Amino acid sequence: MTGPLLYARSRALPATLAALVGTAAFALWAAGRLDAYLDPDRRVPIVALTPLLASAVIGASLYSASDELDRTAVRPWWPRRLAQLTALTALAALLVVPAVLGHADTFGPPAVIRNTLGCTGVTATAAVLLGARLSWLPAFAYVSAVYLGSSAARGRAGTVWAWPMQPGAWAVALAAFAVGAALYAARGARPDGPRV
Amino acid sequence: MSSIRVTGLRVRHRKTLALDSLDLELGTGVHGLLGPNGAGKTSLIRVLATVARPDAGRVELLGADTAGHRGLAGVRRRLGYLPQEFGYYPGFTVREFVAYVAWLKEMPAADVPAAVERAVARVGLADRIDAKVRTLSGGMVRRVGIAQAIVNDPAVLLLDEPTAGLDPEQRVEFRELLRALGASATVVVSTHLVEDVAAACTEVTLLDAGRVAYRGTPEALTRLGEASDGPGDHPIERGYTAALRAHRAPGAREAVR
Repeated sequence: MTGPLLYARSRALPATLAALVGTAAFALWAAGRLDAYLDPDRRVPIVALTPLLASAVIGASLYSASDELDRTAVRPWWPRRLAQLTALTALAALLVVPAVLGHADTFGPPAVIRNTLGCTGVTATAAVLLGARLSWLPAFAYVSAVYLGSSAARGRAGTVWAWPMQPGAWAVALAAFAVGAALYAARGARPDGPRV
Repeated sequence: MSSIRVTGLRVRHRKTLALDSLDLELGTGVHGLLGPNGAGKTSLIRVLATVARPDAGRVELLGADTAGHRGLAGVRRRLGYLPQEFGYYPGFTVREFVAYVAWLKEMPAADVPAAVERAVARVGLADRIDAKVRTLSGGMVRRVGIAQAIVNDPAVLLLDEPTAGLDPEQRVEFRELLRALGASATVVVSTHLVEDVAAACTEVTLLDAGRVAYRGTPEALTRLGEASDGPGDHPIERGYTAALRAHRAPGAREAVR
C-alpha cells in the first residue's frame, strides 16, 4: 500500500466519505418530507443542520492518532492538511446541495454552501484550539444559538452574527473558512492528552 | 566526530525550566540518559527529535543546524524516534504502521517493503507483521514503536523509555539490538532502568533539574557506586544516587558549570 493511501486511512478518510454521503442522503430524505414546494422557508432546518453535521464529520477526520511521530515527517504538513480540508469541504458542499435545489434566493443551494464553508471554518479553528474530538462543539453551539435567536437579527450587525440564517452573509462565512483553513494548515489539530 | 551537538539549550514549559543552558556532545555509540522524573530527559529527546523547539540555544544534528528548513529535512530523513507514547493508527497492521513511518521519512518506495520486514524482524515480531496493532500486547506495541524508529536505518536514534512494558527476555534481546545499532549510529536511550544502561550503553549522561549532573561510562558510574555507601541494590544504582547527591550538594552546580 502506498504512502498517500496509508495517509488517507490514517485520517479515516474512507469512513469520513461514507459519513458525508450518509449525511447528504439523510438531508435529501428529510427535505423530501418537508413539502418545501409549498413554502421554501420550511427548508431552514436543512440549511442549518446539514452543513453542521457535515462539518462535524470533517472535524473528526482532522484527528491525528500519532501526532508526535507525524511531526517528524520530512515534508512540511501544511500542503497535505490544506488539501485534505479543502477537498472534504468542497465535496461536502456538493453533496448537500441536492437536498435544497431550487429557490436559490431563500434557503437554497447558495445558503447551504455558505453554511458548509462557515461551519467547517469554525470547526477547523476549534480543532486547532480544542482538538479534533471536540471540534464539532463550538459550531454546534453557535449555529443552535443563531437558529433559535436569528429572528431578532437586524441590520448589518445582525447579518454578521447571524450569518448562518441571513441571506447574502457570505463575507463572514468565507472569512471563517479562510481563518480555519489557515490555522489548521499551519498548526494542525491540537493533540489530545496533557502535552501540547 | 559528534553527530549531536547541543549548545546553551533552554526549554521552558510554561513557568518550569525543563532544560537550563544545556551543553552536550554525543557521537557514535549507545548513550544512556538517566535522571529522576522531571529532570528534562523527555524534553531533551523531543528537541533532538525536532518535534519541540527550544526557547534558546543551538542544536546541530549530523552537522546541520535544525533551526534551518533545508537542514531539518535532511536530518529528519536520517533520524529515528520512539516517543514515550506514540499513539498508533487503530486500523493499521504492524506492516502498514511501519510503512507509514517509512513514508513520512521519504524512503524510496521500492525500498520500503523490505525495510519494513527487516525492521519488524529485528524486534522479533515477524510472525505478527500482518496483525492489527490494536490486537497486540503492550510489550509488542512497544516493539512496533522500536521497529518504526529503526525502519530507515537512522544515523541518530532517539528512544524514550524503550523498555517500558518489555518482559525480561525481551529486554535482553533489546539490549543486543541496541549494541548492534550503536556500532554505526548515535543512539540515545532515555530510561529509569540503570541495569539496561549498565548492560548496553557505552556512555551515561545523568540529568537533574535540566542540567547535566554527571557524564561518564557505565563502568565509571559503577566504580563511583562501589566507593559510596549510598542507597541501591547494585553498584551502578549506588553510583546513580551518589552522582545525583554530589551534583545537588551546595556549591556543586557551579563546579559542573
